[in-house]
Amino acid sequence: MSMYDVEEIRSDFPILGRILPNGKPLVYFDNAATSQKPNAVIDAMSTYYKTYNSNAHRGAHTLADEATTALEDARESIAAFFGATPSNLIYTSGTTEAINLVAYAWARKNLAEGDAVVLTEMEHHADIVPWQELSKEIGIELRYVPLDLEKMSLDMEAYKHALPGAALVCVVHTSNVLGTRNPIEEIIALAKASGARTLIDAAQGASHERINFEELGADFVTLSAHKMAGPTGIGGLLIANDALAQCGPFLTGGQMIRSVSTDGSVYRDGAALLETGTPRIAEAIGWGAAIDWLSKIDFDQMHDHIKALAMMAYEGMREIDGITLYSDPSRPGSSGTISFLHERIASDDLAMLLNEGGIALRTGQHCAQPLMDALGVASTNRISLWLYNTEEEIQSFLTHLRMVCERFGA
Amino acid sequence: MEDRRWPEALDPVVAEFADCFDSMERYELLFEYASRSTNVLPHDRWNDGNMIHGCQSRAHVECKLDSDGMFRMRGGADAQIVQGLMEITRIAVDGSSCEAVSSMTPDFAEAMGFSSALTPSRSNGFKNMFERVVSEASRLMQGD
Repeated sequence: MSMYDVEEIRSDFPILGRILPNGKPLVYFDNAATSQKPNAVIDAMSTYYKTYNSNAHRGAHTLADEATTALEDARESIAAFFGATPSNLIYTSGTTEAINLVAYAWARKNLAEGDAVVLTEMEHHADIVPWQELSKEIGIELRYVPLDLEKMSLDMEAYKHALPGAALVCVVHTSNVLGTRNPIEEIIALAKASGARTLIDAAQGASHERINFEELGADFVTLSAHKMAGPTGIGGLLIANDALAQCGPFLTGGQMIRSVSTDGSVYRDGAALLETGTPRIAEAIGWGAAIDWLSKIDFDQMHDHIKALAMMAYEGMREIDGITLYSDPSRPGSSGTISFLHERIASDDLAMLLNEGGIALRTGQHCAQPLMDALGVASTNRISLWLYNTEEEIQSFLTHLRMVCERFGA
Repeated sequence: MEDRRWPEALDPVVAEFADCFDSMERYELLFEYASRSTNVLPHDRWNDGNMIHGCQSRAHVECKLDSDGMFRMRGGADAQIVQGLMEITRIAVDGSSCEAVSSMTPDFAEAMGFSSALTPSRSNGFKNMFERVVSEASRLMQGD
């Protein structure tokens, strides 16, 4: 579409017309948790189950051929969308499994006691806990890059100090709490110059900008389909060829098997080594449909649209007495996610009271306790916007937020 | 309230909430119950042992028997909605026998217009808090 037509986009998402049990229209501002799904995704998965449901790769019949073709066509579409080849895309259950796969299939085999992994305070738990577990298992050193609290961004000087001698750098592309888009190009370039591999957690970033795996030059990029219009239960690991060649098996069984005897087993090579069990066929087809749908969206226009909405929300919230903001959507690349607190209304209370106005937002630690600790808070409220949100929804949110703060925060 | 499934002491409370004009007025009333509570579990009594799990905000409850062998509870929470529901639960259970408390259900929350408090959503710890109170009553009844 040449012009950004938000109403046309919304018409593809049936759930956005929902009226909640209290009579309020849904205002969905929880997109960092999961996005809504367009008809194209719902229909693709429904068609699979209605007309060609079958296990892939093995059956010698028409349905199995169709399922296998759809599964691999989806892989081609998804890989192409991310500037990668299909052999570099491993289906996983999502970003969490993708990071665990890097930890257990690559790092456990290639890192040793004393090797350093650089993490940041901005990471989701999914990009912290696997490394803590591996640290306990093989004795790797974990170095955390702190936050620059004034800019709500990573302290890049601290990153440069943490880098020498590190074997791997793991950094989130875009914070799920702050909306901050990290300077990943600079982070990757510095890591490469230092001889470290890089893992980019793009769970949030992939739905906000076009990520090109080849151009980015990271060794590992992790993805979640459900945050980018796809279904839950599937995501992926984009992995560089030389890193893939260094991987050992993690989970075993299913498609990764070449042969098994009572004397032992032989595994398949490459990406096939890392995909076990029955593939997530319907989910992959759904993700492929989401990618095809997203391919029609101009991401620059989408970004401008989301930024304008985020700034409107941000400016409106700044004028409400008692609100503290922990995000700056004016920063380049910001995802439009805004964390905030009210000084006299507990975050859980605020979320429930906003829910009464039909506003769906998030409250809690957002699986980012080290970031909460750095901010000095126990939790935040968070709105996260995406391509189908509207100015009217922002105004509805601000109106309800003002009313709640006046009635409950005096 | 002939079909009541909660202690008689809660009848005026349930009626007060049922009379509210809308959900926001109900929440305002719940905030009032939270603020007027005289028996809040103080912060220095909050510990891992009395923490309510499955609640996003922090919530703690302490249950014991008084000198007459009757059930007593005190609750403390970060969120006023949970604190208010704790205060109403306290009105329901305080001074009852452990046997009576152990067989109580949280139906009063639904009658007050807080049916969402009974969902398994993590956003509200009421259901877990109530289950904890009931299990504490069972434990105290067995003399643990």
